[in-house]
Amino acid sequence: MNITVDQPSATAAVVNLDGELDGSNYGRLIKTGQELYASGVRLLVLDCTALTYMSSSGIVALHSLTRVFDGHEPPDPESGWQAIHDIGGDVNEGLTQDHVRLVAPVPEVDRVLDRTGLKQLIPIHSTREAALAG
Amino acid sequence: MNDDGVGEPGAPGRSLRLDVDLARLADVRAFVRATVIRMGADERAVGDIVLSVDEWVTNVVRHGYRGGHGPLEVDVDEEGSDIVVHVRDGAPVFDPATAPPFDPETPLHLRRPGGMGIHLMYDLMRSVEHRPLPGGGNEVTMRRVSRSAEAGGIA
Repeated sequence: MNITVDQPSATAAVVNLDGELDGSNYGRLIKTGQELYASGVRLLVLDCTALTYMSSSGIVALHSLTRVFDGHEPPDPESGWQAIHDIGGDVNEGLTQDHVRLVAPVPEVDRVLDRTGLKQLIPIHSTREAALAG
Repeated sequence: MNDDGVGEPGAPGRSLRLDVDLARLADVRAFVRATVIRMGADERAVGDIVLSVDEWVTNVVRHGYRGGHGPLEVDVDEEGSDIVVHVRDGAPVFDPATAPPFDPETPLHLRRPGGMGIHLMYDLMRSVEHRPLPGGGNEVTMRRVSRSAEAGGIA
């Protein structure tokens, strides 16, 4: 998976995901997001247009990023896996967040987001312009 | 790729053997995807089977092989309208049925990692069976119909 970053402003970043997000590279996505947050970015748009596959490792990365951009301590890699269980809790408690947004996941990725409950936590937009505008 | 194309129609399945690590998950997925497509699985079934195998193999590497590498065999067979995938490893015996249920109520310190992938595997497959191999390691057998319409629209 290739990760490239566009930064339209000092506080907003678009991360383009190209390829397959799985157990071999989800840590790289978390790290990218952590570095952007540390540099002052507060809106993270993940452009999934070219993302062809995502496993539960990707779900862990996305959930970890929502935590980071909510100002929580960045989870370490192992707690990242445990944090996945918090999605259900977050959704049940009616927690929503709008600091991390997705653009245009393909149907196969969309299904994984749906089945794991993450879709209720992360807003999805059809274009990056719409995601940046919120 | 040529090897993948060899075989009689109706020949008993396809096999992949490799020394697996996280970097080779993509190879396992590519093999399973190409094989089940050739067997006539529809798009939904292909996605479910590829994801389930990936989740289990990720678990084997992360936990069974402690993030390192080890032997893996993947066999894909057809039985009637079913696709049946056998995954064998050389890792310590672990029955996924004994994994903790995916329960957000469980206190964090009592949880074990990896539960999400196993939850997905059971969710997507009609059946998942485990047996310890006589010489050590595990065999997990996953089964799903190859065409979603034959599952009565489920999935």
